[in-house]
Amino acid sequence: MNLILIPIVLPLAAAAALLLLCERTKYIKELLAIGASLVSLLAAGNIFLQPPDVFSLRWLSGAITFTLHADNLSAFLLLAVSLFSAAISLYSFSLPNKGPSKWFYFNLLMTQAFAAGAALSDNLVAMLFFWEGLLVFLYTFIALSQDNHAARRTAMKAFLINAATDLCLLAGVCITGYIAGTMSMSEISRNKLTLDYGWAIFGYVLLMIGAVSKAGAFPFHTWIPDAATDSSAAFMAFVPAAIDKLLGIYFLARASVYLFTLNGTMQLVLMTLGAVTILVAVMMAFVQKDYKRLLSYHAVSQTGYMILGIGTLNPVGIAGGLFHMINHATYKSCLFMTSGSVERQAGTTDLSKLGGLFRAMPITGICFVIAAAAISGIAPLNGFFSKELVYKGTLDTGYTVFFLAAELGSFLTLASFLKLGHSVFFGDRPEELKEAKEAPFSMLLPMLVLAGICVAFGFGAELPLNWLIVPSLQGMNIPNPTMSGFHPDKLYFASVIVILAAVINHMMGLSYGGGKPSKSSDHIHYAPVLKEAYAMAERRVFDLYEVGMDKVVPFVSRLLFKADRAFDWALDTLPSSAAGFLSGTSRRFHNGSYPLYMALTIAGVVIYILIAGGLK
Amino acid sequence: MDKGLLAYLLIPLLSAVIIPFAARRRALLADILANVTLLAGLANIAWLALRPSVIQGGFADIPGDGFSLLLVGAVYLVALCVTFFSAWFMPEGQPNRAAYYSLLLVSVSAMTGVVTSTDFFTLYVFIEVLAVTSFALITTDESAGGIEGALKYFFLTFPASALIIVGVAVMLLSLGSLSFESLRIAMSAEAPAAAVTFSAALILLGFLIKSGVVPFHTWTPDAYQGAYAPVSAHLAGIVTKISGVYAIIKLATLLRFFDGRAQALSEMLMFLGMLSIAVGALAALRQTDFKRMLAFSSISQVGYIVLAAGLGTPLAVMGAVFHLINHATFKTVLFLNSASVEKATGTTDMDKLGGLEHSMPWTSWTSVVALLSTAGVPPLSGFWSKLLIILALWEAGLRGYAVMALLFSIVTLAYFMMMQKKVFFGKKGQAAESSAEVSAPLLAPAVLMCGIIVALGLLFPYFYTYVKVVAERIIL
Repeated sequence: MNLILIPIVLPLAAAAALLLLCERTKYIKELLAIGASLVSLLAAGNIFLQPPDVFSLRWLSGAITFTLHADNLSAFLLLAVSLFSAAISLYSFSLPNKGPSKWFYFNLLMTQAFAAGAALSDNLVAMLFFWEGLLVFLYTFIALSQDNHAARRTAMKAFLINAATDLCLLAGVCITGYIAGTMSMSEISRNKLTLDYGWAIFGYVLLMIGAVSKAGAFPFHTWIPDAATDSSAAFMAFVPAAIDKLLGIYFLARASVYLFTLNGTMQLVLMTLGAVTILVAVMMAFVQKDYKRLLSYHAVSQTGYMILGIGTLNPVGIAGGLFHMINHATYKSCLFMTSGSVERQAGTTDLSKLGGLFRAMPITGICFVIAAAAISGIAPLNGFFSKELVYKGTLDTGYTVFFLAAELGSFLTLASFLKLGHSVFFGDRPEELKEAKEAPFSMLLPMLVLAGICVAFGFGAELPLNWLIVPSLQGMNIPNPTMSGFHPDKLYFASVIVILAAVINHMMGLSYGGGKPSKSSDHIHYAPVLKEAYAMAERRVFDLYEVGMDKVVPFVSRLLFKADRAFDWALDTLPSSAAGFLSGTSRRFHNGSYPLYMALTIAGVVIYILIAGGLK
Repeated sequence: MDKGLLAYLLIPLLSAVIIPFAARRRALLADILANVTLLAGLANIAWLALRPSVIQGGFADIPGDGFSLLLVGAVYLVALCVTFFSAWFMPEGQPNRAAYYSLLLVSVSAMTGVVTSTDFFTLYVFIEVLAVTSFALITTDESAGGIEGALKYFFLTFPASALIIVGVAVMLLSLGSLSFESLRIAMSAEAPAAAVTFSAALILLGFLIKSGVVPFHTWTPDAYQGAYAPVSAHLAGIVTKISGVYAIIKLATLLRFFDGRAQALSEMLMFLGMLSIAVGALAALRQTDFKRMLAFSSISQVGYIVLAAGLGTPLAVMGAVFHLINHATFKTVLFLNSASVEKATGTTDMDKLGGLEHSMPWTSWTSVVALLSTAGVPPLSGFWSKLLIILALWEAGLRGYAVMALLFSIVTLAYFMMMQKKVFFGKKGQAAESSAEVSAPLLAPAVLMCGIIVALGLLFPYFYTYVKVVAERIIL
């Protein structure tokens, strides 16, 4: 058996085996899932180090070949997926509030298997199969994480948004495959498609919509903050923070540089999308008052950097985008894990009820500080280097405005993490939290591992760049970019300025908010123009899904109902009443009157003879 | 006359003559003689047409044009079913028993005469004989309804006789001959004489009246409803088909509708056929009497045959011939079942019936088979004939007629479903409480006919070969 099948088949088999287990059994389910994900991780590591043969199955007498192919980028992605899966399954061992653990691990393993399949597929149809499979488990993951109406509603929201964009992807795959004449990505890349004519542009845009919406970019992100409140921290750490970002950005990179040769217009579109995503989401994140919800907006915002990086279309920017993808997954997963720990130990994620937990939960606190510093781009952690690459790539394109937008996003990111960290881990501890203790070891270990990766990828940024990113770019036939480690150039000083600005802003916010860290964003939240904008955002005026569900869907369904009634009337009522009328008339006519019958017969005879005689 | 089939005409006539004398002492002899005569005839026809060697030879050995033999077979089959049914249906000691069987046999010989005649005058004579026996048969039970029906039948169809005889006269004057062959030759000419076409149109009109096509249909509901129960099966199943529809098909082929020699006539015929389909089906929807509904259904089904005959293409003629045979099978079943219901419950008013399927399952399910065949549900035989007709219409470019024909076959299903629900399904009505299934001999004809419906549907390829032979022989 080919080694490449293990990361797909093993989680599937383990998930199926989980279903056979009774919910009441202790530890067996957890251990089975952890074991399966650890073995998958080992297999993924092996695949990464020694790429196995291509595995292919022919279907439709060779018209479509399902190929699993671990090229550098796919193997990197597979490694990342397996790593996060293993980390989350270990983390969830003693996490409460994750729903029935049987179903949680079932969904986790299925998601892992399908994500691995999507990463490894070389054929667009096979990739689409795995991609759409993820949609099913996205729904069940959220819907089964809490037993209430809100969870099901959010699950439906996530499902519908992703289903709509997956349909775009489906259409895009069909168009791309049709234009290219093959469904194999490696074959398409040998003769890249250009955006010279309408169908190609249409196909690429559809693929892009599918990819960025998976990654959670604006305006397809609205389900993520809802999921933060309506599902578990483990789900958030796994799917929106890690798997979705990995796959979405992976496929965006594939589509943008591997399958298509983009032009300047599309570059601008991608970069604008990235910048808008950064700013809109970070503005929302800044004013949130819930731990997980705040993090979830950052998960959206950081996607913007990746899209911006890939949108630059120069090697440095793309390297930055991919590096940021893996970095983001690391620190955002870690941050969501800290939120899960805090929720488990303190019982709430409401910022106004938390505070001073650093002494009670030092390891969680340290992990948080490292991950928060990394996401804010503080040197020399991993986030700094990936953001620096993105900035550099952006500046190389000549569009300084995007650079400024990204720096502004960076400023607000740091500001919001100052607020978050201050309100949760520092300041005064409320009375109710006096008894709070550190989280159990099974939750700390994955956090520590991920925080360690943040540090390692920061101080030794050369290592992941040379081992992971450069080979991936080579896999996509991009020439070696000149990467830089830490050195005090202009970008470093820009980041120092941003840090200082954010600290000053936090001080101002504290003094405006009466010293309460959870209110330290109020001076921006209730600023003259922004106040109305935020109020509208809280009423979900900008949420396309909610607007659609509130306004468009009822209208369309009423319209369809009316149309249905009309069809019903035309097909049922009208014919039956017409038939009833005619048959009633004819029944009244056949009254047995001989003179009437005779008159009819004779009239018929006369007319017949006249016509037969040639009368016109 | 087609002399090869003369025996089928003479033997029933001979039996008809013998029966009154033989049955003077023992009434049962009348039943036996009539049944044996018809059974022997049917066996003989089966031997002629259904020998394995004949089937393997693609029916090339069939004597005559094949059409006549097929129809003689249908006549004998329906008549046998009716006489067999009557033998158990008729109460003991009914005074005119011998006369009834004699008249039945005479009508059989008259029908055989109609389908074997080769000139218009012989045709006319046999049609009249058939009409006279029918008037008498309708009044067998001497009920008021029967007499009214017979009188209406007589008075409303006498214009038909008049028109036919006038047509025959005009034809003799203009064509100089009355044989089918000479008409065929005359119509093959470049420009057929207008007077010949007109005389044929008059004869055609007579047969239209005889077959009960709208607007000349007014006698049918009253005659079928009022007639003695087995006689209505005989009338609807075969008599009116032979005395009217057969001649229409024959004329359609003689007048060469398919190559447009009598365009106006062809169009008028198709229009009347469609009108019959529509009026019959719509009127049937609201009927409350079982037999009257069947009568209107009969008008509608005759419409299909006339529509196809009016089109006149080989495929349409095949469809028409096949539908004629099918109509004989399913309408006989339904009318015989209505007679069974009448015997068991004493009424045919559908408002009083209901839930009979529990006490009369055989009657109920044979009705279902027959009505599904009428509505054209595959794989029953009615499906194939309607398919042929609709296909022929579509091929000829008459899309509107094809769609209408299809739609009205849905209406057919609708009224028959209502009939089935009101009579057999649903809650037991007051009439159903005391009724029991009729005896096996009364069921046998219906079951036999259902078997034929299913067999014709399933063995359609063989039958198609036969009908194709017929169509080739009578058109070319």
